[in-house]
Amino acid sequence: MTVSGPARPGAPDRAGLARDLTRLLGDGKVLSTLGERLNYRYDAIQFGATPLAVVLPESTADVVAAVRAARQAGVPIVGRGAASGLSGGAAPAQEGLVISFTRMTRLHIDPLRREARAQPGVVTLQVSEAARPHGLVYPPDPASFRTSTIGGNLGENAGGPMCFKYGVSGDYVKALEFVDADGEVHRLTRDAYDLAGLLIGSEGTLGLVTEATLRLTTPARYTRTLMSHFAEVGQAAEAVSAAIAGGAVPSKLEFMDRACVNAVEDYLQIGLPREAGAVLVVDTDGDDLETVEHELELVEQACMRACGTVRRAADEADSAALWRARRSVSPALGRIRPQRMNEDIVVPRSVLPDVVREIERLGQASGLHMVQFGHIGDGNLHPNILFDPRQDSPEAVHQLAHEVARVAIRYGGVLSGEHGIGSMKVAFMQEAVDPTTLAALWDVKRALDPGMALNPGKVLPQPEASDA
Amino acid sequence: MNNDIAAQHPDAQGQLMAHAVDACVHCGFCLPACPTYTLLGDEMDSPRGRIVLMKSVLEGELPLLDAAPHLDRCLGCLGCVTACPSGVPYGELISGFRGWAEPQRRRPVIQRLTRSAVLTMLPRPALFRAGATVGKYAKPLAPLLPQALRAPLDLLPSAVQPAQPLPAFTPAHGPKRGRVAFLEGCAQQVLTPNFNAATVRVLSRNGIEVVVPPGQGCCGAAAMHTGARPLALQQARRNLDAFDPAGVDAILSNAAGCGAGLKEYPMLLAGEPEEGQARRLASKVQDISVYLAELSAAGGLEPFMPTTRPLRVAYHDACHLAHAQGVKAEPRALIRSIPGVELLDIPEGDLCCGSAGTYNIEQPDLAGRLGDRKARNVLSVRPDIVVSGNVGCHTQLQSHLTRLGSPVRVMHTIELLDLAYRGEL
Repeated sequence: MTVSGPARPGAPDRAGLARDLTRLLGDGKVLSTLGERLNYRYDAIQFGATPLAVVLPESTADVVAAVRAARQAGVPIVGRGAASGLSGGAAPAQEGLVISFTRMTRLHIDPLRREARAQPGVVTLQVSEAARPHGLVYPPDPASFRTSTIGGNLGENAGGPMCFKYGVSGDYVKALEFVDADGEVHRLTRDAYDLAGLLIGSEGTLGLVTEATLRLTTPARYTRTLMSHFAEVGQAAEAVSAAIAGGAVPSKLEFMDRACVNAVEDYLQIGLPREAGAVLVVDTDGDDLETVEHELELVEQACMRACGTVRRAADEADSAALWRARRSVSPALGRIRPQRMNEDIVVPRSVLPDVVREIERLGQASGLHMVQFGHIGDGNLHPNILFDPRQDSPEAVHQLAHEVARVAIRYGGVLSGEHGIGSMKVAFMQEAVDPTTLAALWDVKRALDPGMALNPGKVLPQPEASDA
Repeated sequence: MNNDIAAQHPDAQGQLMAHAVDACVHCGFCLPACPTYTLLGDEMDSPRGRIVLMKSVLEGELPLLDAAPHLDRCLGCLGCVTACPSGVPYGELISGFRGWAEPQRRRPVIQRLTRSAVLTMLPRPALFRAGATVGKYAKPLAPLLPQALRAPLDLLPSAVQPAQPLPAFTPAHGPKRGRVAFLEGCAQQVLTPNFNAATVRVLSRNGIEVVVPPGQGCCGAAAMHTGARPLALQQARRNLDAFDPAGVDAILSNAAGCGAGLKEYPMLLAGEPEEGQARRLASKVQDISVYLAELSAAGGLEPFMPTTRPLRVAYHDACHLAHAQGVKAEPRALIRSIPGVELLDIPEGDLCCGSAGTYNIEQPDLAGRLGDRKARNVLSVRPDIVVSGNVGCHTQLQSHLTRLGSPVRVMHTIELLDLAYRGEL
C-alpha cells in the first residue's frame, strides 16, 4: 500500500468534483443536484452534512475512480450502504463525497466451498435466501437484515439475535477486497496480520470494502422457542445469567423491557404481555432434538426460578410471531417519540441484573423516556432514550446517554456491541479507552488513512493533547 | 423527522402532511418494499428519500422542480406503508403533496394534454369506449408517434367488448341475507365488463340484494393521486350524494384502486364541510372479497362446483388491496375454498406490477420493467390461472404475459368464483 502524506493542501476544488466524477464515471452514477444530495446526509439515527456529490458505483473500478477524484479535490469520503445504521456512522460529519454502494449487488454462491462472494450492496437477507437452495445459511442476522447491506454490516461488525451462539458478521468473513484512501485495491485473507479483522467494524474509517467472501454454514435441524415474562427487569437478567451458567447455549436470547413490549404490541397487536416488566425470547437449536429440548428445559427452569412466566411456542408460526415482535422493536419505538439516542453497551453477564436495574433507575430519575432491549445472552444491551427535540433538551439526552455509557464502563463493559461508535458515542470513547490504547488506534488510522479522508469525525475522539 | 410544515401550511392538508413527516424515523425499513428503489437503487426514489424531499420542498429548502422527477416516479403502491413499523401514513403525504404541488407545475404541452385526456376519459365509460375504438385504429400508427402518445395507446384494448350495463337493482336469489350498494368503477366497465356482471351474479346467488345507485361516478382516485385535487373533490362529492351508507350493509367495490379511493375520502375531504359524511361512507366500504369472506364465515357460501381437473391458481396481490386496504387473507381463503384449486403465492408478491393507475402512461419505462418482472415471477410458479382483484393489475398482467408468449389465463377473483359456480373451471 502506498502510504503518502495528507491530501493536496490548499482550498478543496469542490466545484470541480462533480464535474470530474461525471467525466470519469458517466452521468448515471453521479448525483450532484441539491435534491439528490440532500438524501445522502442521514442514517437511521442522525442527519449530518449535505454531501458535495454522491457516487453510485457499479464496480470496484468505479470506487477507485471516485476515491481518486475525492482525493484530488481534497474532500472527505463517507461510504454508505442502506443507511439503516444506528450510530450516525453513515451520516457525513463534514461536506464531502458519499459513495453509496446500493448498486454493487453482485452475489455468487459457491456451495462446494460453502462460500458467498458478495459485493457490499447486497442486502443481508439475500445472502441467506440465495444460499438456502443449496442447504446453507448465512447466520449473522441484524434486526435490519431485510434492508441493511453486507458492506454496512461489515463496517459496523453487525450482530443480531444469533450472535450469542453463532457470532457476528466479522466471524464469517474469509476474505475481503477493499479500496484504500489512495484508491489502491487490496485483497485480504485472515492470515498473517489480520488486516481484514481491522477493517471489519472500522466504520469506513480505514478503507472501503468492495467485495467480501463470506462463510456459509448448514442450518440447525431443530429449533425450539420460548417466551418468558417477568414482573421486573432484574429478574429477567438473573434468569439469563443462571441459564447460561447452567450450561445452556441458546442460539438466540433476547430481552425487551415493558416500554418495548408495549411499543411493539401497539404496532403488531399479537397479544404480548403489556403488564410485564421484561420479556425474554429464547431459541435453542441444534441437530440433536434431545439436546435442543434439554437446553430449552434448562432455560425454562432458570426463568421459573427467577419468578418468570413461561410460554413455549406451539409451532413454527407461533415462534415466527414472537421473533417478529423482537425484530420490530427498534423502529416501533418511533411511535413513542420521533427521535432517539441509541446505546449499544456490552457488560459481563454476571453483572447484568445490577446493570439493567441501574439503567432503569437512571432513566426514571432523568424524567426522559428510556427503554431497554438487546441481545442479553451476549450481555449486549440497547438502552434507548426516546425524545422529542421540541420538548426535551438535547443536553439532557446527551447527559443521560453519557451516564449509561459510564455504567457500562464501571461494570467492566464496552461502548459498542454491534452498532459502532459512529458520531453518537465518539465523545464517550475518551473515558472508555485509556490514552495509550487510543494513541495506538490513532497510529493505525494514520497508517491506513494518512490524509484523514475516510469518514472523519467517527469512531476516534480527538486526543486532548496536541499530538493528534 | 422534525419539520415545521404545519407552520407554513396551516390548513388541514398541511396538518396531515406534517404528521406523516413527523412519524418517519428514517429507519430505512421501507427501502426493500419500494419498487422504484428496487429498480434504481438510489435514495431519492425510495419512500424515506421522498419524505425528505417533500419535507424540504414544503419547508422551502428545495425548489419543487428538483424534487418533482423523483416524486413523479412514486407509483403510490403503498408497499412502504405495509413495511413501515412506525406507521407513517405515506399515502396521505404523497396525495396531499401532489394536490398542493400540481397547480404550481408547468408541464410540457403534450404531457398536459395526455393528463387531461386521461382524467377526462377514464371517468366516462362512453367516452372511454369511443376513445378505445378510435385508439384501436390508431394503434398501427403508434411507432410514428412520440413516446408520450404511444404509451396511452399501448394500454387500449385491441378489441373493445360490448357494454354490459348493470340493473339498478338485482334481487337476492333465495332467502335474503343482506343488501349492498355497488360501485361500478369506470375503466373496468369498458376494459373488463364481465367483472361487474360476475360480481352481481355471485352476490345474488348468495342471497344478497345489489343496488347500483344511479348518480354514482368515478371514485376520484386517479385524480387524487395525480394531484388533480379539485376534480377529485368534485367526483367525491358526487358519490357522497349518490350513496346512502345508512340503507345498506356495505358499499362494495371489486376494483382495489376504487375501493381504496372511497376509503380515502376522509383524507381527501379533511377540513371540508363533508368530512363527517366522508367518514360515514368510508366506514361502510369493503372490497368484494372481504364481504364474501365475512359472509362465508357467518353461515357459509353456496357450494362451488369442483374443477374438472386440478388447477394451479396464482394469486397476485393488488397493491391497493394488500397495502392500501390491508386485504390479503380474504381473497386467498375464497380461492382456496374452490374444490380442486391449488393456491400459489407469487415470489416478490409485495412488489407492485407497475400498473398503478396512470403510471403506465406517465412512466412507461419503469412500468414496463416492473410489469416484465411481475410476469416472470408469475410464470415461475407455473400456474394455469393468475388471479387479481384490480382491473389495472389485470391489464398489466395480461399484456406482459402475452408479450412473453404465455397462455396463462388472467382473471378477477370474482370471475374465478363465478366460473366455479357455473362448473366452468
